[in-house]
Amino acid sequence: MPMLYEFRYLAPKSVAELTATLREHASDGKILAGGTDLIPNIRNGLQKPGFVIDIKKYDGADRISYGADGLSMGPAVTINDLLRFKDARDRYPVLCSCAHELASHQIRNRATVAGNVVNASPCSDMAPALLCLDAQAVLRSGNGERVIPFSSFFTGVKKTVLQPGEFLERILVPAASAGVTGRYLKLKRIAGHDLGIVGVLMTKRDGEIRFGVSSAAPTPVLVDTVTTKDSPDEAAAKVLASVSPISDVRGTKEYREHMIGVYARRLLAEVR
Amino acid sequence: MKIKLTVNGLLYERECAEHRTLLRFLREDLGLTGTKEGCGMGECGACTVILNGHAVNSCMVLAAEIDGATIRTIEGEANGPSLSDIQLAFEKNNAVQCGFCTPGMVMSVKELLAENAKPSADEVKEAIEGNFCRCTGYTQIVEAVMDLTGRPEEKGELDHV
Amino acid sequence: MFDDIKTGDLTWVGHETGRADLIEKLTGEATFVSDMELPGMLHTQLKKSPYARARIKGIDVSKAESMPGVRAIVTGDELDYHIGLYIVDKYILAKGEVRHYGEAVAAVAAETLEQARAAAEAIVVDYEPLPPVLHHMEALKPDAPLVHPDLGSYSYVEAVFSPKAGTNIANHMKVRKGDVEKAFAESEYIVEREYSCPSVQHVPMETHVAIAQWGKGDRVTIWTSAQSPFTVRNLFCHAFKLPHSNVRVQVPYVGGGFGGKAGIGIEPLCAVLSRKAGGKPVKFQASREEEFSLLPCRSALTYRIKTGVSAEGKIMAQHMSMYWDAGAYADYAVNVTRASGYSAAGPYEIPNAWVDAYTIYTNKPYGTAYRGFGHVEFHWAVERHMELVANAIGIDPVEFRLKNALKPGSRTLTGEEILPSTGNVVKCIEEAARRIRYGSITPEEEARQKKTGWKIGKGIAALHKAPAIPSFTATAVVLKMNEDGSVLVNLALTDYGQGTYTSVRQIIAERLGFPIDKIKVAFESDTDRDPYDWQTVASKGLVLSGNAAILAADDLLEKAYAVAAEALHANPRDLANDGDKVYIKHHPDKSVRFAAMAVGLALPNGNGIGGPLIGVGRYIAQGLTNLNKETGEGRPALDWTYGAHGIVAEVNEETGEYRVLKIASIFDVGRAINPDLVRGQAIGGMMQGLGTAVCEGYIYDENGRLLNPSFTDNKIPTAKDLPLEVECAVVETPQIDGPYGARGVAEQSMISVAPALGNAIQKATGAQLTHMPMRSEDVWRTLQNKEPIDNWITKSPVGSCRSAPEARRRDE
Repeated sequence: MPMLYEFRYLAPKSVAELTATLREHASDGKILAGGTDLIPNIRNGLQKPGFVIDIKKYDGADRISYGADGLSMGPAVTINDLLRFKDARDRYPVLCSCAHELASHQIRNRATVAGNVVNASPCSDMAPALLCLDAQAVLRSGNGERVIPFSSFFTGVKKTVLQPGEFLERILVPAASAGVTGRYLKLKRIAGHDLGIVGVLMTKRDGEIRFGVSSAAPTPVLVDTVTTKDSPDEAAAKVLASVSPISDVRGTKEYREHMIGVYARRLLAEVR
Repeated sequence: MKIKLTVNGLLYERECAEHRTLLRFLREDLGLTGTKEGCGMGECGACTVILNGHAVNSCMVLAAEIDGATIRTIEGEANGPSLSDIQLAFEKNNAVQCGFCTPGMVMSVKELLAENAKPSADEVKEAIEGNFCRCTGYTQIVEAVMDLTGRPEEKGELDHV
Repeated sequence: MFDDIKTGDLTWVGHETGRADLIEKLTGEATFVSDMELPGMLHTQLKKSPYARARIKGIDVSKAESMPGVRAIVTGDELDYHIGLYIVDKYILAKGEVRHYGEAVAAVAAETLEQARAAAEAIVVDYEPLPPVLHHMEALKPDAPLVHPDLGSYSYVEAVFSPKAGTNIANHMKVRKGDVEKAFAESEYIVEREYSCPSVQHVPMETHVAIAQWGKGDRVTIWTSAQSPFTVRNLFCHAFKLPHSNVRVQVPYVGGGFGGKAGIGIEPLCAVLSRKAGGKPVKFQASREEEFSLLPCRSALTYRIKTGVSAEGKIMAQHMSMYWDAGAYADYAVNVTRASGYSAAGPYEIPNAWVDAYTIYTNKPYGTAYRGFGHVEFHWAVERHMELVANAIGIDPVEFRLKNALKPGSRTLTGEEILPSTGNVVKCIEEAARRIRYGSITPEEEARQKKTGWKIGKGIAALHKAPAIPSFTATAVVLKMNEDGSVLVNLALTDYGQGTYTSVRQIIAERLGFPIDKIKVAFESDTDRDPYDWQTVASKGLVLSGNAAILAADDLLEKAYAVAAEALHANPRDLANDGDKVYIKHHPDKSVRFAAMAVGLALPNGNGIGGPLIGVGRYIAQGLTNLNKETGEGRPALDWTYGAHGIVAEVNEETGEYRVLKIASIFDVGRAINPDLVRGQAIGGMMQGLGTAVCEGYIYDENGRLLNPSFTDNKIPTAKDLPLEVECAVVETPQIDGPYGARGVAEQSMISVAPALGNAIQKATGAQLTHMPMRSEDVWRTLQNKEPIDNWITKSPVGSCRSAPEARRRDE
């Protein structure tokens, strides 16, 4: 039976304790949220943290709420917490449809929304929605808080603006984005749970079109240059101009580009 | 560290390494080997248990992070000496072959039915898509759930030509 | 056998009865080897090769040896045991040279898994990387590196196999029937195409796992997740030169096999570790990644077929060249080659045939048996080829199949005559076609096409397979009556989900005339306690063990009746039983209970007669012969199970995406002993066949490193991948020598799913797919006539599709 590499487990009980722990273990600590990436990575020896710092144990970490500021999700809010939250389902259907495409039911019961973006995988399913909905990341460290729009959050493959000692305390989806509609098309190898070969989300609000694209560039991509006046071909050209897919075991660059174009055209044609 | 878990209604208290997964804790420390390991990566669902009411892959959960939790595993599924309704439906519908995925599969169905008393066939498939089965081709498992929830007519037959 | 057995009015045979193994599997009480923990047991971790081919210059275990908890470390140089099923070509651990990525070079047994892993990581191996030969077609070239330079000195089963020393060819199988050149010259059309598929993984949900304990006096006990306990024992004893009585192999519940656990695997490694650790039990369980690269897979295949057809659409001649990728060791692949060679044309009559089937060594994880034993792969080629030939000559593909199907009076490639009782492939094809409304688009389908914009196509593919077994394959079943008149069944055929034990139980209940609840099949197999069975493979279990079960039941009754005859002062011929007692037919009130006779009958005066009632049934395959090595002539087939699949698929021409709307699977099973279990086999195999068709396959980089050794990038079908509609049906042409007329169907269900899908996709879009799996990208590439690229061995993985249209009229 395969096993994990050894580490110490820490469970800070307050934000202050968490920030202190993160500062202390800035170099040898890893934050544990849902664990659906971290634990397999430790098993495989891809990550060997000395300390695993559980982010779920302080009061409010798993809080999801809707108010005047919009939708707020703590770092322990799971994908299924989001899907079970009525205000999210009613007001942020785009966020929920992307969430629903993520992995299997068991994973969605455990994986967190925050973890999906902090990992900064190019194939993140949540990132396209958060980008299109103008969501913001509230980051906290011992030095205080800073708010970063997701459009500036991702810096490379598995890289974000998060600094050592800093954590994603909340995801804020603005109230102004409530009611935005859209559709997420994810190309997979099987009908069941799979990472995307490509994923294209298109959202529409008050006539404004946005595309969020996954598995198509070193980071998830936001395209906000398309308008309803564009033809499907023009829209596809604009989306394709913003991405740079690679060839890997899941598909070729050529096919990815083709499918992104097809999806962009198909989605735009649906709303025109 | 010391871990306390309520598993199938019984309280267990054990000393446990901090990097121990819930799966190994159940199997090796508590001797509850009904829960299986198929990949150790959260892909196959053989290790599915119900953690505080929700189905999870126990290979990706640390025992340390769920101190105090309530767990249901396959060992707690039967009603004393009698099989549970889910187990009886699996039995009646021939929904088991090698049996290795079965414990996890039953756990996923259990959570589904707790949330949705009369799921559609598509909802059943979605609930168990995280549970790989290489033997049955899933059909008889879906039929078992449909049968259990009052749609026995969904069952297919082997026709004789 | 048994054509005199009544087939109507049966109580148990032909009906659904509960499986024999459900309660323990549904409650988690069934104990698999992966669940077992023995006192003092040690755990194993391996040091594995990162290279596809390298010379081992040295292995330094000095640091690892002194690490905490380490009880034994073994490396290849200290072991001199050759293992091999048909060609003895493998060491327990790599010795001198590693031959594939992921091959084990050293092993550690320690108190805990963590300690074993730490020690394995501390072992230092000094490699000199050598250029690997990765593609099996490259390995045939004269200047290719030799995977086994010593091939000429290996021992092998000489009556059956033909390795070529000084090459990478582990076996060359030939069929020469009729006059191929003359028939080609007389053909109106000649169509030649090449087809291929990559290696795939079996994916049993329980990975390979074994525990071995090497006791004092060289007494070895092995617990293993294996299909064939007696083959494990036999090969183990040959390798270690131990008497068979010293070795005991036990197989409890097994979490899936599909051929991957058919032979011997990790058991010798556990045993040598145990011996070195002073006899402590040693367990090794493969991780999922090791299941992909340490343990065997299914061989890749390149298959070139050239067919000559008359103006009327009859096949005149066929030239077939099969190139099987053995990987680093021959294992079952040489026999896959043999079985595929003699079945190579599918269920069609080829009057003039020429087959060259090669097993080729490469520096990749090795191939072994996998559900279908080559037939899934070569039927992909044959049944796509039948479609493409029919298209090329302008005849409907189903009509072309029916015209050329094997029928009573036809002769197979090896010269065997097809009889009316052999089975009815024509009926299977026609039924599959009827169920999918082949050849038409219904109004509902028309409406669906309009709505979705996806094109609907329908395809049929037929299949045949016989058990690929030694000509003298044998088994036995022992029935032991318990004190209460119930019966315990011992057999060493294993049931790892197929349901054979349930069917054998039905057969025994039927033959004894007992209530089924009185029959228990002991689940765990044990070479010390069970009668011999060769292997649980080849869809032969029900036929051979079912026949042995009938004979065992007859034997048990004969013995019971002898005791009853003495007690009742009757002639045994005048006796019958009602499941509880034996009575005189013409004086039913005179009887004696089985319970009274079970362990010996006490007469009223106290004298004992009889003794414990035990029935023994032995059965050996009848009339099979070795094949002539030059012509292939002979009789290899115990029976032929025919079948056909019909698939309705819808395809998006713009993207290559597709969905299977419906599949209808039809098999001539002779007799369905348990319809629910047959359906379980049919659907389970169909889904495994869809996995092969849609998404599964090993992808290597150009250095031979496996790029997708996990479920992350080697997907298998999930519940959401089920076709929208699934139908299964059986034709029942009784097999005269099958139990109650039955034939096997466990493998057949997986065969020809892929070509049925390929044919449906082609019908919908015209895409001439010749490589499987058919990923949406492959379909798209074919439709776009994109550069055919093969990404199964690649520097930078890119999309895959190969198509080489070479259909031509002979006179063009």
